[in-house]
Amino acid sequence: MSEMLLDEIRAAKPAAPPALRERVRALAVQEPARAPFLARFEWKRLVLVAPAALVVAVVAGSVIGLTRDDVATHGDEIAASGAAGAATTTSAFERAEPQRGALKGFALPPATADSATPVPPVPGQLQRYEAELRLRVDDVEELSNATKHAQQIALQHGGSVASLEYDAPAEGLGAAQITLRVPTARVQSALAQLSQLGTIVGQRYGIDDLQVQADTLQSQIEATQRQVAQLVARLESTTLPAPDRVVLQSRLSNARQKLKGLRESLRGTNAEARTATVYLTLTTEEIQPGAVGGSRLDDVKDVLAWEGIALLYVLIVAGPFVLLAVMVWFALRLRRRQVETRLLEQN
Amino acid sequence: MTLPARHAARPASFAATAEEHLDDVYGYLVYLTRDRSLAEDLTADTFEKALRLWRRFDPARASARTWLCQIARTTALDWFRSEERRHKREERAAAPDRIEHDGGEGFSPHIEAALAELSAGEREVIALRVLLDLDGEEAARVLGISPTAVSTRLSRALNKLEEKVSVNV
Repeated sequence: MSEMLLDEIRAAKPAAPPALRERVRALAVQEPARAPFLARFEWKRLVLVAPAALVVAVVAGSVIGLTRDDVATHGDEIAASGAAGAATTTSAFERAEPQRGALKGFALPPATADSATPVPPVPGQLQRYEAELRLRVDDVEELSNATKHAQQIALQHGGSVASLEYDAPAEGLGAAQITLRVPTARVQSALAQLSQLGTIVGQRYGIDDLQVQADTLQSQIEATQRQVAQLVARLESTTLPAPDRVVLQSRLSNARQKLKGLRESLRGTNAEARTATVYLTLTTEEIQPGAVGGSRLDDVKDVLAWEGIALLYVLIVAGPFVLLAVMVWFALRLRRRQVETRLLEQN
Repeated sequence: MTLPARHAARPASFAATAEEHLDDVYGYLVYLTRDRSLAEDLTADTFEKALRLWRRFDPARASARTWLCQIARTTALDWFRSEERRHKREERAAAPDRIEHDGGEGFSPHIEAALAELSAGEREVIALRVLLDLDGEEAARVLGISPTAVSTRLSRALNKLEEKVSVNV
């Protein structure tokens, strides 16, 4: 390309005629103010917003996880279960510092009070008491001994073995899951002895207040008894018309049935309160105390996991629509460009 | 492709910007349409639109001249579209009204003739890169294509222009 030609093009640059210049000057008189922030927002700034949103999500997850009410500490539990008449359910899985119990043959280890002492049931108050213990033992032989020993402890405390699963499939590895029923009054002693069967890697106590339920049942029984007594008294009357007598007899029958059911419920509640359930897991596998659920860190992880699931759900639901929108946008853009190219070639 | 500095200085005012770049926009539109009176109208339309959009103009994203050329191009394309529709309507009804091109004032006759044989797309790339002296990235931004595509298009357009000029001479 000759420079002369380019120079000629540059030299012959069209200049705006004065009339046009005046027209544009007149336009420019009304200059608008700067746009508000949102109007100037650039999508590229999302690059900054995205990490900030991630940080907010992590912080929110941590705060929620750390302040959740359903995670009570050992002390919280005692306070909650000690609240008279409060119908509360508390459950916590404690991270336990590994404690080596003395397991020597079949000799019963003494019940000792230490930092793993279980939360005691409140005397004089009906409670559903559940405890879960996870213990690690050194090898399969010790696992077998500990399993037998656990059954003995339950029996010695007046309890029974509700279920037992023993599994030792691989060399040196094995686990046993035992569910024991022990009188609530003696469960603390039983737990103390059970905790000596291996290294405690986790423990959980759950206390459900049954006193309110029992009190309610008792008052319903008393009310029904009064109703029965009134009906019997009315039926003893000799002047009672026959049709009324039939109706009252039907009511009396119903009331007696109801009374029977209420008494059975109360007996069941009392029986439930009398017997505690202990879920004992014995394993030869190494379990990191920190890996056992229930810690604050685990709650933070849970919340973050739920946030991730929610995000994934949104992406799955919105993904196809976003993809479709992007495809439509690209198609329209391509079409517009084709039209522009054609127009520019024609003119 | 690098973007302009993030904190580019904001032009003093719309009036100053319009004054500074009026000839550029007008020249670009003259090349694009080859019609000075039409280019005048389109230039006025361009600055009207620019005034409306001025609040959103971000000098960090493009220079004022590039921004104005983008608006001018859109305005011209809109006009081409409306003309196309009008021609189609007229073709159905009567003989079309041809546009008299008079964009070549100031050129030698052989250059004027050669430019007339180029398409609007070819003329506009010459206008942007040679007449307005935009760099490759600025021209690419106006045309909505890559800088490489701008170079290719410019090279073809100039070769064609030179060829036509040599034939006309």
